[in-house]
Formats: sequence, structure tokens, C-alpha cells
Amino acid sequence: MDFELTQEQKDIQKAAREFIQGEYDKERILEWEQTHTFPRDIWKKACKLGFIGIHFPEEFGGQGYGVTENILIVEEFCRKDSGVGIALSLVDFSSELILRFGTDQQKKRYLIPVTKGEFISAGAYTEPDHGSDITLMSTTALKQGDSFLINGTKTFITNGCLADFFVVLCQTDPHAKPPYRGQCTILVDKGTKGLEATEITPKMGIRMTSTAELSFSDVRVPVSQLLGEENKGFYQVLEFFDESRIEIASQALGISQGAFDRALDYVKQRRQFGRRLVDFQITQHKLADMATKIETARLLTYKAAWNFDQKRIDPKLTSMAKMFAAKVAVEVADEAIQLLGGYGYITEYEVERFYRDAKITEIYEGTKEIQKNTIASALIGKLK
Amino acid sequence: MNIIVCIKRVPETTDADISIDKSGKDIDKSSLVFDLNEWDSYAIEEAILLKEKLGGTVTVISMGGEESNESLRKCLAMGADDAIRLTDPAFNGSDGFATARVLAEAVRKIPYDLILTGTQAEDDGYGQVGVVLAELLGIPHAAVVNRIEVQDKRLKVHRELEGGLEEVVEIDLPALLTIQTGINEPRYVSIMGIRKVAKKEIKSFGAPELNLKADEVGLSGSDIRLEKVFLPPVGEAAEILEGKPEEIALKVSEILRDKGGLS
Amino acid sequence: MKEIVVIAEHRRGELRDITWEMLCKGRQLAESAGANLNAILLGKGVNHLAEALKPKVNKVFLIEDERLESYNSETYERALVRLITERKPWLTLIGHTATGMDFAPSLAARLKMPLATDCIGIEIEGETCSVIRQLYGGKINASVSFVKQGPYMATLRPGAFPVLEKDPLPGEIVPLPSPLAAETLARRFLQYVEAAVAEVDITQADILVAVGRGIKDAENIPLVKEFADSIGGVLACSRPVVDKKWLPKGCQVGTSGKTVRPKVYIAIGISGAFQHVAGMKGAGTVIAINKDPKAPIFNVAHYGIVADLFKIVPVIKDKIKGLRKS
Repeated sequence: MDFELTQEQKDIQKAAREFIQGEYDKERILEWEQTHTFPRDIWKKACKLGFIGIHFPEEFGGQGYGVTENILIVEEFCRKDSGVGIALSLVDFSSELILRFGTDQQKKRYLIPVTKGEFISAGAYTEPDHGSDITLMSTTALKQGDSFLINGTKTFITNGCLADFFVVLCQTDPHAKPPYRGQCTILVDKGTKGLEATEITPKMGIRMTSTAELSFSDVRVPVSQLLGEENKGFYQVLEFFDESRIEIASQALGISQGAFDRALDYVKQRRQFGRRLVDFQITQHKLADMATKIETARLLTYKAAWNFDQKRIDPKLTSMAKMFAAKVAVEVADEAIQLLGGYGYITEYEVERFYRDAKITEIYEGTKEIQKNTIASALIGKLK
Repeated sequence: MNIIVCIKRVPETTDADISIDKSGKDIDKSSLVFDLNEWDSYAIEEAILLKEKLGGTVTVISMGGEESNESLRKCLAMGADDAIRLTDPAFNGSDGFATARVLAEAVRKIPYDLILTGTQAEDDGYGQVGVVLAELLGIPHAAVVNRIEVQDKRLKVHRELEGGLEEVVEIDLPALLTIQTGINEPRYVSIMGIRKVAKKEIKSFGAPELNLKADEVGLSGSDIRLEKVFLPPVGEAAEILEGKPEEIALKVSEILRDKGGLS
Repeated sequence: MKEIVVIAEHRRGELRDITWEMLCKGRQLAESAGANLNAILLGKGVNHLAEALKPKVNKVFLIEDERLESYNSETYERALVRLITERKPWLTLIGHTATGMDFAPSLAARLKMPLATDCIGIEIEGETCSVIRQLYGGKINASVSFVKQGPYMATLRPGAFPVLEKDPLPGEIVPLPSPLAAETLARRFLQYVEAAVAEVDITQADILVAVGRGIKDAENIPLVKEFADSIGGVLACSRPVVDKKWLPKGCQVGTSGKTVRPKVYIAIGISGAFQHVAGMKGAGTVIAINKDPKAPIFNVAHYGIVADLFKIVPVIKDKIKGLRKS
């Protein structure tokens, strides 16, 4: 057993930390947060430095590292700023599906621009009537000659109004039994006729990230846009979640650490009743609890990443990491606000934003309840 | 142009709480974050910019323990070609002069046209190693440089003086320059850079390889010795300036002159 | 008898403040050690500077040479090596300035003399000498001793030693022949240039005048701005002033603004909330003006003035203007 990051991993972590520290500018960030603006110039710079798509192979623009290296970056980015961190870590969202199931041509066409900062990707799974339950899709893609005709609505789509292409989960065979055996993932480019994206706003947090509703109205794409095998869409997406949930866990981990950092700074400076807050035992115990929770979340998250990089799939472990890290993020951010008192409630002190941003990690990529289902299924030994 | 850059890994103390360690001769560094000395990050960036423009190589040298590899790797990742670490227990406790002596012996082994160092280090703040090194090597130098123009076999450099004034000097190569912060914008380390470094070996030399005797380096080779450290005296409450407004005004003007350099 | 020498620093026909600071400290050291205090002045056409130095020292050693007209480390080093080798002063003081940092280390190395740089304190103890230096950007002070017996060399930090009036010494100017030969130099002085003036950056200012809520209205800002201008300072402020849009965000000092480390920080009408203090506690000297004697700013300030800013600031401004003119 070895709990030490490799030298290279430490260097990557340090590089990510220095980059985001260098780019961090609270004034600008609070403005983006207010105006729901995506941090475009930081994204472009992050791509140029190889942070985005670090886990893609070199031939497709990446750096050939694994999920572990990717999540170390995500953690550092979210630690310095929850809003910017989440926005940056999601620019390549769902690209991994192409990486895993796409043809070489699809990989070249989509992945290379993602690493270069030319494309932002998105995955369209959730529907107004199907949130956590993706076993049946109302969005249909019917094969007509050498094209698919897509109709339906997707909602809460991350990067919806920013993305250059979408991985869309569609029902291709409405009669398949069970229905999830009749699903496909299809690549749809931005601007395809009949595709419209509408921003869903305002929202509680992640305001530098676009969240949109997509409407497909007779959207026609060539069959060559099919990702992987026909009728395997459901399985592909589940497999993808096994990787992406580790990334969400690392977002949550970074947010916890960032909220903790700010609270620690504050209690060392703030004086009440003639003493620094940090000199009160109640404060010390709060800090001890927060730090312990964060470290536990880190262990689970890193283990899930390490396991994935060993080419082992363990949905139970990734769900544990995602569920636990998200819960810790919400709790730690909440406690951070409490430690800052009235200041914690004020935007300028950031922890309220960390709290709002933390909450999404308990919801997207499978709510905490869904994660519990996954964990329980694995424990009981009965997969649905 | 072949360039050597001398660097140092130092603890970041600007925003840290500082306490004195048990020896009473240094601060407790156990909870501090270390990084490349700020001045050195400008020096390495300047070297890489010159290399990118003119070709040649950049070799980075650091005297310190194995942990100095971290800063050497950072320089490699930024774009340096080679890194050398000078490590020997005998080097411990070296003052500015002894440090320059160790660096000089390493530099003599490498062909170079230009040597860059930071103007000073954030930790001990001697501001002398670079200039002493130039003297030991018998090459011309310029300190506190904030602009470099290469002109064939010589450089035109700006030295930052006080009060917004700069001094422009011409200097023949090979030469040594100590670099002031702000001369450029040090680049971020890229993942591509880190990948390149992973394959690189950092050479390490000790006192014997540098033909240095133990009494020429470290504490025994140093001219000055740190006896103890202490926290700077903190003013308790403010000294309240009293009197007529004119008298107070006079005192303020004296403070401004003594502490603010106001003439 | 011991000899202490100060290498006089001058530029564009004027002696620099550090020279007076070194002479004042040098005088004190010389008196305590029963030593002579001499100055070395290198230049061309600097007789008037030698005259100015005269009452501060026992002797002014003056070397005039056209190759010393503008400072150059190489000519300075050559002239000084010769002079110091001949005279063997027990202690040589040089300014820790852009000039001193450029020649003191190589000069010491050439002469094989122990050098302590950037000293903020220096005392003679019998046959040896000890200094105080700062480490870690001024967060820690260190007492440092010289290992060997003298002679010693030290560079002194500008502004660290006060200039006090003392009775004049019977100074004597001793012109010496220039040891410089006609030879090609590897380093040549070309010219002085004024650095391009950037947009005002409060983090770079030596003197900051910061204004807080106590200024009451935007139309009172010019009062403080004029004061800042009159002392060559830069205007800064605390958070409420920015919130009320009386000054731009770039002027703000504190947790959510900039962290500054000027030599002197004058806080006017600022109560001293810790968020503000966090941004300015690194200032060298803090002067606070506030009408509330209990304002927390007085706990961090070195000097306090309990007064109505609208009454005291114009008086200070006029007084300093008057003093600077005379």
C-alpha cells in the first residue's frame, strides 16, 4: 500500500495550484458570478497549458495521464474557486464517452479541439420527465435511411448554451424490452437545424456554468454520428458515470478544502471577547471535525480514482466517493459560513458561494439517493 | 546563447504565521510551503525567453538538499534544458560568500555565455551571491537588472535604481546579471513541461566532485555567523502625537522624512 | 587608531540620503570605538560634494577621474581596492542600495573581507562587530556576528538609520591620485533613463495616504489627494470608500482589496477593522489620524493623532509644503 502521490502527480498538483492562484481575481470572479459569465479566458489558458483533457491519449490532444491526475487538477481549481473550478472541470464533460466508444475519426474531430480550447462538450441525458431514471428516454432518434431523426427535450444540460457538440442519449428502439436496451448515444453538433438551447436561469449556484434546456425538433444527423454500438447507449452512459462521478467527487473535495481554507484564515484573524476565534475550543473542535471529514473524502476519492486507473470498474466505490465527498462539501461549507458568522452570509466572503456551489454535487451526476441505490445494489449483490 | 541560472528553493512566508524554532537560529518551517525564490522565477523566465529568441541552452543550478529538486524540476518544466543540484552536508550553513564559492566551482564545469541569478533570496536576503559569483569567475556583472537587450557579443541592460530611475549599461559577454522582479511575467508550468521533466535526470555534485575542501564551504567557510533570531519589536499601542496642530504637523514631516525617505 | 570609512553615494551631482545615514551611524560607531570617521568620494567634478561631507568626517578621501564621472562597478572596484588595501580601514560602510548591491559584494570578495549585507543595526563590541539583519522579508530579525577579526565591510539598509544633528568634525579634504589606467572596460555606463510611468499602483508606493469612512463625502476626497500629492504619496482607501464609489476599487487596501507594504502608511479617518489591517500590517511605519481615541487603528499604528481630520490634515499639508520649500 502506498498513500503517496508520485513525483509527477505532485508536480501536476502544484502546477494546477499555481495556475489557478495566478488567475484568481476575486473582483472579476464576483462579476462573472453575478452576470452568469463563463470564465472564457481562464479556460483558453488552461487548455494551452494542457490541463484540459490531461487524461486523453496524446494522439487525441491529451497528455496521456489518468483520472487521478485529472481529479488532482479539478480539486485544486475548485479549492481556489468553486465557481471557476466547476466551470473549467466540466468543459470536457462527456468527452470521455467519445474517448471510450468513438471511432478514431470521431475522436480526432471532437477530442482534439476540446483539448485545444476550441470546443466545449456536453452530455444530454436528463429529460424533464426522466431525471435520475434514464432507463427510458422520451427523446427519440429514428433511423431514416442513412440518418437519425431526433425529437424530444433534454433539460438541466451542463454547458447547454456553450457547447459545440452534444452526446445525446436517445431512444432508438421504443419497443425494446427492457427499454434501456433500445438506447443509443448520438453526437449532435451545435447549430444543427432544429436544435435549440435555452438557458435555465437564475439558479442557486454554479453560475459561471451554463445550464440549459435543449429542444430537438426534427434534428437530422448522419448515422456516422452514432457513438459506439447501436442499442448500447444506456450501458455506455453508466460506464461513463463510473469515471465522471469521481470527477464530481473531486469538485466536492476541492470546494470543502476551499471553504475550510477561508474559514481557517478568518478565525485566526477575527477577535471576539478579547481573543481570536481560533483560541476558543469550540472553534478548534469545529476545525478538527471539518478537516477530518475532508481527509476522509479525499481518501475515498483518491482511492476511486486510483482504482479506475488500475482499469477496474467499481460503481460502489465511485458512488461512495461521490456521495460522501458531496455531503462533506455541503457540511463543511455550511460550517465555514457559521464560523464567519454574519460575514459568512455576505457574498464578498465567498463561503456562501462555496456552499451554493457545493450543493450541486449532491444532485448532478446522480443524486445522493441514486448513489445509495448503487452502493446498496452492490452490497446486496443484486443489480437491477 | 548558453545560459546558466542559479536558483534557490525557499519557504513562502509572506502570508504565513511565523514562529521561531527550538534552535533559536531559524524559523519553524515544518508547516510552510516552499517554492522557487520569487526573484529566481524571473531569472529563469528571462533565460528561457532569451533561449527561445536566440537558441542555445539553459542550465539551472541550485545548492541545497534533495528537496531542491522540486524547484529544479519546475525550472525544467518551464523550459530549462539541464538541472544540477549541489548537495553536501558540508555546504550547510554557508553564508552568501561560501554559497557563491560552491556555485563557482559548478559553473566552471559548464560552458556559458551568460549567468543569471535573482537579485536576492526571499529567506536570507543577502543580495550578494550573484555579484560575488561574478567576481570569483572573473566576469563582468550588473545587479538589479530589469531589462536585457542582446547585441552580438554584448548586452545592453537596464539597472533599476531608486525613485523610478534606471541606469543603462553595456556589458561584454560572458557576464553575470542579477535579475529584479517585474522584468517579465514568469510563465505557468504546463503539463507538457511536467511530462518532459519526468524523463530528465537531475545531476548532483558534492564537495569532492567540485574539488572543494570542507573548510572552504558551509559554516567553516563562512565569514558571518547567525547567532540568534528574534521577532522584530512590535509597537504596543501607537505613540500619540500631541500638541498644537503645527507641532503635530512638524512631527509628521519628520516621520515622513526618516521613515518614508521624503526629502 | 581604528578607522571607519563610509563610501559616499551620489548620483547626478547630489549626495544620496543613505550617505548621511551612514555618516550618522558611522559617527556614533566611531565615538563608541574611539575611531576616526572618514569618507571616500569617487567622481568627477564633485568638489562641492566633498565640501558638504567635510563637517561630517575627519577626512574626505577624494579621487577625481573622468572614468568615475558616472558610477561603474568596475572603476569603483579598481579605485576602492587600491585605497582600502592601502588604508586598511577597520570597518567600511556602503549603502545597501542599487549601487551598493552592485559593487559591495564583488569588492569584498576581491579584498577577501567579510561582508554583512542589508544591515538594520550595527554595533562594535571590542575587537569585533555585530549586526542585525532581517530574514524572510522582514518577518524575523537576526543577530549576526563576524567569524574572523576585522577589517569588516557592511552594507546598511536605506532608511534604517536616522540622521541626527551632530557637532561638526574638523573635516579635511584629501585629494588622491586616480589609480585608474587607460584600459578597456567590460562594462560601460551609457545613460540614465526615467522608467515609464505606469498607472498608479498602490502596492508599489513608498508612501500611502489611505482614507476611510471618516472622509464623509466624495467632495472631501480632494483634500486628502492634495495632501498625498504634497508628500509624494499615493492615495489609497478602505472598503467603505469604494463601496460608496468615491474611489476606484484599485485604491482599496484590505482583505478584499490589495495588500500593501509601503514605508509609511497614513490612515486617515479609518477605524481599523481587521479586514483593513490585514492589507496594511506590513507597512513600515503607520500613522493614524482619527478623532476616536479608541479606534482600533491606534493599536496597529506606530503614531497616532487624535484629531478631526478636516482640521489637522490641511495644517500638516501646509507645514510640509513650507518645510520642503525652505
